[in-house]
Amino acid sequence: MLTINNLTKHYKGSNKGVANINLEIQAGDIYAFIGHNGAGKTTTLKCVAGIHGFDEGKILIDGVSIVKNPILCKQKIAYIPDNPDLYEYLTGIQYLNFIADIFKVSAADRQQRIERYANEFEITASLGDLISSYSHGMKQKLAIISALIHAPKLLILDEPFVGLDPKAAVILKGIMKDICKDGGAIFFSTHVLDVAEKLCNKVAIIKDGTLISSGKMDEIVKEGQSLESIFMEVVDNAQTN
Amino acid sequence: MLRQIKNLSKLQLCNLFGLNVLRFSKDKKAKRKKIALGLVFAMLIVILAAYIVGFSYAFILMGMSEVLPAYLIAVSSLVIFFFGIFKAGSVIFQKKSYDILCSLPVPQSAIVISRFIRMYVENLLLTLAFMLPGLAVYVYFIQPRISFYLIAIVEILAVPLLPITAATFLGALVSAISSRMKHKNLVSALLSILLVLAIMLGSSQLTAVEGEVSMEMLANLSNTVISLLGKIYPPAVIMGSAMVNGDFVTCLACVGAFLVIFAVMTAIVSVSFHAICRRLFSTSAKHDYHMETLKEKSVLATLYKKELKRYFASSIYVTNTIIGPILAVVFAAAVCTMGIDTFKALPIPIDVAELIPFALAAIFCLMTTTCTSISMEGREWWIVKSLPINTKTIFNSKILLNLSLFAPFYIASEVLLIIALKPAPLDILWLLIIPAVMILFSCVLGITANLIFPVFNWESETAVVKQSASAMLSMCGALLALVSAVPVIVIKGVPADLIKLAICAIFATATVFLYKKNNSFDLQKIG
Repeated sequence: MLTINNLTKHYKGSNKGVANINLEIQAGDIYAFIGHNGAGKTTTLKCVAGIHGFDEGKILIDGVSIVKNPILCKQKIAYIPDNPDLYEYLTGIQYLNFIADIFKVSAADRQQRIERYANEFEITASLGDLISSYSHGMKQKLAIISALIHAPKLLILDEPFVGLDPKAAVILKGIMKDICKDGGAIFFSTHVLDVAEKLCNKVAIIKDGTLISSGKMDEIVKEGQSLESIFMEVVDNAQTN
Repeated sequence: MLRQIKNLSKLQLCNLFGLNVLRFSKDKKAKRKKIALGLVFAMLIVILAAYIVGFSYAFILMGMSEVLPAYLIAVSSLVIFFFGIFKAGSVIFQKKSYDILCSLPVPQSAIVISRFIRMYVENLLLTLAFMLPGLAVYVYFIQPRISFYLIAIVEILAVPLLPITAATFLGALVSAISSRMKHKNLVSALLSILLVLAIMLGSSQLTAVEGEVSMEMLANLSNTVISLLGKIYPPAVIMGSAMVNGDFVTCLACVGAFLVIFAVMTAIVSVSFHAICRRLFSTSAKHDYHMETLKEKSVLATLYKKELKRYFASSIYVTNTIIGPILAVVFAAAVCTMGIDTFKALPIPIDVAELIPFALAAIFCLMTTTCTSISMEGREWWIVKSLPINTKTIFNSKILLNLSLFAPFYIASEVLLIIALKPAPLDILWLLIIPAVMILFSCVLGITANLIFPVFNWESETAVVKQSASAMLSMCGALLALVSAVPVIVIKGVPADLIKLAICAIFATATVFLYKKNNSFDLQKIG
């Protein structure tokens, strides 16, 4: 579904960025991407979403290069940033309709999906209000609905649980599982290691722009261990090395 | 209190003109862009200085040296005032840092004063840009006494106070009135435009010379100019006279009066600051939406609709970009009511009718919406970048917004001019085509300018619409429109129609070239 080969990106005039990232995300995967602040998670996710260009490497979505055919790739994915900066001058329903138009979702499909997800996240009554009046959590819910409106095969999520109330977080986890059951995949960054451990079948740990561990969750986190202890151990080891 | 004002002012001023980015950013590209922006500003200042030196020299040659300081003060003050009306409200009642500042233990008067100080510093620089070149010419030729220099320094420092106060009063009034309305931004934009038009109309009525311009009036031009300046902005005449005559008492009295008015205004705004801010920043949420039947639209149509909503959501965006088209209609109406013969009677060796299509184009191209349309996406720029839309469609929607906004004004001004000029069929064609081609060029040039100088991390829309390099650069469209009229006037022996055809062809070719270049731009490189 998603292949990242030797991804390298440096920001000019800064030592930030990522180097030689290799990841393979297959259909059915819920892949957690963890690391400390400034490790390179957002940079990687933005490169995958086609927001940032990169210096070296390849990113393939369903075998198609994001560099060579960005439009085709973007039609298959959905991206939610860590901060839901949405068009504040639109109402919720106008924003969702806008996204649906861009993805050319039929009127019947958009109607059905918006109704379903807006009811699940309990924001139907607020869809007629301007986004500027929304709380952070409501904006996050709207961003999630907009990401699901075209039934993407791959979801790229940057800290998707931040700002969500407990009920919405549970609903989102359910939706993520459903997408994977239907043959989709999810690649998301998080600082909540408990959620990552329980929800994901694969995990990647990044430190200072370099991938220091990746693979199946049950191979990385052995019985009697926790992702938290593994994360601390791996990160500390990488520091000593 | 003084310490708090100092700290808040420092905060307001530290990133003025992007100085903080220049000092601390590790991004060399960002630094280079700031330097390039500085060069654009420097270039504009040099052009402005050259212009001021030119007309100041003309004043001296015409024996009107004693009028020059008053004239410079009046011009500086009027520029500050007219720019300030559109800007003052959004600077004083800035939304971005409001919540943080309100949570801090600082009195609201300190917040207001710090924002005033920011406006004062900006406008003092503008005053210096206007006054220094002109006064340098005056000093070179007149060689005044030492008192002139001392008074000039004091008065230059005082010049921005009164226009800022007046502009803030009107800006705050517009903000206060619009804050009570449902469509705050639109009402604010409409009120600002109406205010400026009313002031322009009022001042033109005030300064209108009754009857014909007599030889006596021309011979006594100094008095005529002083009389006109006295009607438009009386303090300029008082301050100018104090400077020329070395009158310290009048100078200090004037500055003192300015300071008192400024202090009173600050106190008034401070008292109602929170109330206006609360109303301005409040949003109403009904929570009563029921799912309606949704309709599909094309990608271009949906992007266009989004652009339209973005445009009307910002009063400063509307006021700054719609004033050009409104002035174009005013210009056409003036030609229509006064008659072209009035213009032809002006003592200049040019066929004024030939210039009208170019003048109309220049007025339209003063400020396009496209030149800041990318920057106006701000922190939401990621949305467009992450969606499956090609660059061409994104830019087309932005150009389409600009053209659709200008269209009604273009049609109205063309109809008025055709009625006024009663041109020959071929001249009608030029009257229609020349502005149309130049408007199209300016729209596309606006996108190019914004791609070169995008700003996404802005705190206030004012920083994009009024202070960004792309906004400055796009004014080149208006300048080019004016310059392109020169060959029509200067080149003799070649049919004017042929020259106009060549000008249109050059602009059309440049438009196609820039349009293609813009559409092949990699959006990942910005934001």
